[in-house]
Amino acid sequence: MILLESIIDGIRDIKDHLGRTLLQLLGIILGAGSIVATFSLSVAGKAASMEYYRVSGGIQKIWIWDRPTGKVTLDAKALASKGLTYRDAVAIKRDAKEIDLVSPVSQESMTIRYREIQKPRDVMGVVPAYSPMNDVHAARGRFITDSDVQTAARVVVFGAERAAEFFSTDDPIGKTVTINGTGYQVVGVMEEKYFSFDHKRNVLRWMNRQVYIPLTTFFTRKGQTLETGKVSFMNARMIDIKNHEEAVDQIRKVLHRQHGVKDYEVLSRVANLKRNEQQNQMYDMTFMICGVISLIVGGIVVMNIQLASFNERVREVGTRKAVGASPAQIFGQFLSESILVSIFGGFLGIFVGKLFTDGIAALTRDPAVITPDTVIKALIFAAGTGLVFGMYPALRASRLSPIEALRTE
Amino acid sequence: MSALPEFVEETLPEKALIQLEGVTKTYDAGDIAVQALSGVDCAIDAGEFVAVVGPSGSGKSTLMHIIGCLDSPSSGKYWLDGQDVAELTARALARIRNQKIGFVFQTFNLLPRASILKNVELPLLYAGLARGERRERAMHALERVGLGNRAKNRPNELSGGQRQRVAIARALVNNPSLVLADEPTGNLDQKTGSEIIDIFEALAGEETIIIVTHDPVIASRTGRRIKIVDGRIVNGEAE
Repeated sequence: MILLESIIDGIRDIKDHLGRTLLQLLGIILGAGSIVATFSLSVAGKAASMEYYRVSGGIQKIWIWDRPTGKVTLDAKALASKGLTYRDAVAIKRDAKEIDLVSPVSQESMTIRYREIQKPRDVMGVVPAYSPMNDVHAARGRFITDSDVQTAARVVVFGAERAAEFFSTDDPIGKTVTINGTGYQVVGVMEEKYFSFDHKRNVLRWMNRQVYIPLTTFFTRKGQTLETGKVSFMNARMIDIKNHEEAVDQIRKVLHRQHGVKDYEVLSRVANLKRNEQQNQMYDMTFMICGVISLIVGGIVVMNIQLASFNERVREVGTRKAVGASPAQIFGQFLSESILVSIFGGFLGIFVGKLFTDGIAALTRDPAVITPDTVIKALIFAAGTGLVFGMYPALRASRLSPIEALRTE
Repeated sequence: MSALPEFVEETLPEKALIQLEGVTKTYDAGDIAVQALSGVDCAIDAGEFVAVVGPSGSGKSTLMHIIGCLDSPSSGKYWLDGQDVAELTARALARIRNQKIGFVFQTFNLLPRASILKNVELPLLYAGLARGERRERAMHALERVGLGNRAKNRPNELSGGQRQRVAIARALVNNPSLVLADEPTGNLDQKTGSEIIDIFEALAGEETIIIVTHDPVIASRTGRRIKIVDGRIVNGEAE
């Protein structure tokens, strides 16, 4: 009851002194604003990376490179190594128990010709596992099959953009193209992949620009075999992301047994994600600290203004006490007032935070989403500030002796 | 508070509404202690219309504050309605002020930003009454002082006399045992002041009313005068 009256009083107070209240609340507005911005950017950033991972084969995807990444001095043995081979892929598939799919890929630029169009383009030698591994599927016709690989068939599958480049409006299926002088039959065109963080750049465009032939065909045309042919990189898929460290470890063990030296690199997306998360946490922390400092400063201002308004209203407090307000009731009235103005500041802060977020999103082209969760967090922080810093003025008002209050002019 | 044993209650038949025994009040004003009241004995019965008179600085306001439970005696006893209030907590005193006492101040002390109705409702708000009942009782109190039609106005839209009548309505709204008025006409011209005393006069009999005043004309209209000089009652007899 009294709470409700105090809230109505508080709203009237805000209305009567809007300018003063806004100044008073500047710190809280900015504080709540930067909290909103922090959460919006970080939540959206996380959601976007997860979505990117999902559309490009999931976070259970593991990358296996034919040389260690980073600045590593390779010894002679590692330099002389043959790199990754098809046999490594078979061994991983067989021995790494946490792995259910392995996709070795060989990549090279080749000359592709269809009628009068002739261009050097990247060609990938793949196995059927490539399609589920990267979550990319044939939109028309079919992808490379096991039988294509076994027979080293001269078939080719085009990515969506490449198909358009070479065939324009023609139907590519069944047509013959020459790759490095050899004729191949087009058996499929892949679906178009799209993902964008900023609604402008398609980060999966590279997938639409691929040209796929069977891995065996790729080797045979170069005079190599499955044993001697060099695999550029492999992807493997783990069964359970909970065991991601074990999965990576098993692959390392298999490769080490096969090669005898560390001439490879195994990276899991899960580990990558964790590393990114740690980094993001740093950014989040920085922003959060800024927000919290703003709130503290805002809280101190709220406290000062409450004290000033309390001095203005000493007589009022005296009158209220004379008609029977208990110390607790006066305390509650002052405290609810400062909480209320702080929540009001929090609301304004959400709008400021929206501006921040939009501004930053526009500059960095990062995605940003304000979720209800974020709004609630900002309001709770603001209300908490009002609560903490309203305590002292409320206590002073409640302890005021009624006679002294009434004597004050 | 020291609870009165039951036999004491019985052996003090018909204790007066207000009973003071040897009440003193000393203030610390820096280095010197100021003796505002030095041993006041006094009894006021329910229904009396009393004026407390005396020169300024005589201690009549201090007496008023003690009777009104805004202040507590340094020594001596004060029973209000048979209850010893000398050692009550701030919360219990607030409750007594709320339930048993209505104040009328020289400077009206209305909340400037609240409507007349809200001002009158204030004691009921702290008593914890529901909105509907508050409204009804406040309207009734305003009608008693002839201001039922100004409920929606704010205090600064009213004349001084009207404001004081609002304050009287606020003092009456909780059906107190006692109405205390501290120089209620001090800020009003003679004619308006006289009208305010008319209201008190009309209430006399229904309510117990104590008016602190230095105006002999007002004092002469009450049923009994208590004169204070230098913190002592010099004449507390009814005429």
